[in-house]
Amino acid sequence: MTDKANQLRRRLLAGGAGALATGSLGTLGRSAFAQTATTDLPIVNGRRNLVAFPEKRPLIVLTSRPPQLETPFEVFNDGLFTPNDAFFVRYHNAGIPTSIDGDKHVIKIGGNAAGKPFELTMAQLKTQFKPVEVIAVNQCSGNSRGLFNPRVTGGQLTNGAMGNARWVGVPLKDVLARAELKNSARQVTFDGLDVGVFGGGDFVKSLDVNHAMDGEVMLAYQMNGADIPMLNGYPVKLVVPGYYGTYWVKHLSDIQVIDQVYEGFWMKPAYRIPDNDCACIEPGTAPAATRPIGRFTVRSFITSVLDGARLQAGRPTVVRGIAFDGGQGIREVAYSTDGGQTWRDATLGQEIGRYSFREFTFGFTPDRGNHDLRVRAWNRSGQSQPMQALWQPAGYMRNVVESVKVVAA
Amino acid sequence: MKIKILLTAASAAVALGVAGQALSKSIQLPPDGMQLKASSLPGYAKAQAHCVACHSAEYMAYQPPTAPRPYWEAMVKRMKMVFKAPLDDADIPVIVDYLAKTYGNEQPK
Repeated sequence: MTDKANQLRRRLLAGGAGALATGSLGTLGRSAFAQTATTDLPIVNGRRNLVAFPEKRPLIVLTSRPPQLETPFEVFNDGLFTPNDAFFVRYHNAGIPTSIDGDKHVIKIGGNAAGKPFELTMAQLKTQFKPVEVIAVNQCSGNSRGLFNPRVTGGQLTNGAMGNARWVGVPLKDVLARAELKNSARQVTFDGLDVGVFGGGDFVKSLDVNHAMDGEVMLAYQMNGADIPMLNGYPVKLVVPGYYGTYWVKHLSDIQVIDQVYEGFWMKPAYRIPDNDCACIEPGTAPAATRPIGRFTVRSFITSVLDGARLQAGRPTVVRGIAFDGGQGIREVAYSTDGGQTWRDATLGQEIGRYSFREFTFGFTPDRGNHDLRVRAWNRSGQSQPMQALWQPAGYMRNVVESVKVVAA
Repeated sequence: MKIKILLTAASAAVALGVAGQALSKSIQLPPDGMQLKASSLPGYAKAQAHCVACHSAEYMAYQPPTAPRPYWEAMVKRMKMVFKAPLDDADIPVIVDYLAKTYGNEQPK
């Protein structure tokens, strides 16, 4: 913490992060805003700026500082991999690193249940371990929160806080093996270089030790064949396949193996879901008990046709989309062109990984008039998507069967 | 989505090694895209002094306009208790009043 606080202080003195310099930004901010492109999300109070942050194309700005950026939904029709410059960004604190030496960056491994604490430079991580690769979706817990009805407070995202990438790195299991875990090991905590401006609320997450040692959780240093963009966690981030992005700690710098359940703010009370089968409650009520958020629910989206699109009547169209789940893999996608009254099987594309987006397609020749297109996916455990949206107070895990209304003329 | 005018307010400097992998990265972040809404309420100046010291104004501006006073109160208290914002207790109700009336369900219709 002391190291991180000093780093932040240096950045602020250098004027790098600009976190404490807002008073002087008034004029500049206004003129920038006047020229900035905007987009209207389909929610009340949904007008957003589109701005190109470093290493990013213009993305939907949820917040400027710290940066929180949503991917414009059209991008998901461009292919199964989400380009690095279009990948969503989510930070919790404004003390974010803006300059990092990629080889000298150090990850400390310790904690009261690590028999042999040690430090690892990026150069060592890349040369002393056997790299592995996984194709996996990262999705924000609050992806689609803005679509909740009744509305809930928090980051008002639509469906663009998700992305699919090819990650290369080292299994966490192999790194932890060097630390010689004690039998008392119960959880592993993860901290990155980002810090709170006044030192509180540091973003630290934890996983049960069995999960951390499952061989799939990874310290990734490459994303889609390139270095990870700074705003996505350069030079190394935790990849937790099938789990919500809250666990994918960026700029990973500290790993602790501990003999108890970690209950820092970002594990409790933040990022909790109702502790029942549906992770849902009646709107306006409070959950009796909660648990930390975990795996993704099943989702599917039409990507080739957007809500409100106009199609040519009588013209055959191939409708394309993507489906994913928490790692069982997608078994089936059904589609309806009449608002869910009748369903048929869509054609699944090749499976390139059970944590990946999976393509589906179906043919559609619209008659003149209005059509309500819907898709619904099942995974290999038979889990699917609800026809009516589930509700929970924090606005996580939305996975209702979405409706895309089109008109053919 | 229509992009009317593109303004690139940010840049990235990346030093490349022989293998094409970056040895280091430096970025410069763009300025805030939004300021707090001006108001004659006394909490406006306090919010400018305290809230935007740590985060930009979209955090408030993009909440659903149905957000009730208890939400704003919980958030301001969280900033002090969890994030260690140096807030006097006496300033909390003043800031909450500005937020609820400017961004929440007490906005003038």
